[in-house]
Amino acid sequence: MKKLPSICPACQSQLNIKKLSCQKCDTEIEGLFELPALARLSAEDQEFVVQFVNCSGSLKEMARLQKLSYPTVRNQLDNVIEQIKAPENQG
Amino acid sequence: MTDTESKNNNLQKRTLGQWLFNPFQFIAGGGTLLLGLIIMLVSAFLGSLSNTHFDGVLDVHIGKAAPLWFFLSEVLIDWLCISVVLLIAALFVSRSSFRVVDIFGTQALARVPYLLSALALLPKGFGRFAKYLLSKAMQQMPTTTIQNSDALFFVIGAVISILMIIWMVVLMYRAYAVSCNTKGGKAIGSFIAALIIAEILSKMAIWQLAVRTGLL
Repeated sequence: MKKLPSICPACQSQLNIKKLSCQKCDTEIEGLFELPALARLSAEDQEFVVQFVNCSGSLKEMARLQKLSYPTVRNQLDNVIEQIKAPENQG
Repeated sequence: MTDTESKNNNLQKRTLGQWLFNPFQFIAGGGTLLLGLIIMLVSAFLGSLSNTHFDGVLDVHIGKAAPLWFFLSEVLIDWLCISVVLLIAALFVSRSSFRVVDIFGTQALARVPYLLSALALLPKGFGRFAKYLLSKAMQQMPTTTIQNSDALFFVIGAVISILMIIWMVVLMYRAYAVSCNTKGGKAIGSFIAALIIAEILSKMAIWQLAVRTGLL
């Protein structure tokens, strides 16, 4: 399965979902659906969130696994939080 | 060279550059604080052997003889001044939460270039030539006899000291940016302001210490 793009390659705007389909019965649903907050993140940031959850939300454990310092990992988390909050603040 | 080898070489180069100019991506916290303190105290001890005073956040001077505790106090005052002022700056500028131990620890390790400065100024020739130049500048008869190699030691020591100060400022800024999650113009502006304030505070504190203990 291809990776879900979240940013338009032509104009760099946020992409939305227009069509969904069922692989089993071929039912198709058309509309305009927003990507969930986590799906709007870059692939790198999504990977960070997955690792963060796998580490039970421990930044110290994340830092140990990634061989980075604690503030570096915390800054990455802050950047992810900022991106998630940005559309909420606009809306 | 294959693509993989080329990529690995690039990665190694980048990592070496990061270790030299932004090691705080990889290390911070209590361990860094301890390592930084040890390096600072060793720098002060080496400085005491050649009367090299770190008498300000950004200062390296050959000066008067003083007891070892005074050299140790100078580096601790420098470090405390810059760390406390940057901590206060971060309270205003940073939008993230941060740990005090990261600020103090990374600022301690950022002073590692002074260890190399202290080593570069160890040869007696540097001090002799500095005294000789000072006498000449003040139009007095030089009281010290210089040797042929002294000028070379002086030039090497002076160049290394200047390079080490530049390197230290880069490290101090990186330490501030990483430990407080500050970026862009605000980070640079607040860092420069903090550096100037800390420099003045450290000079005043060291001068007061010297006066009150009868060393001046």
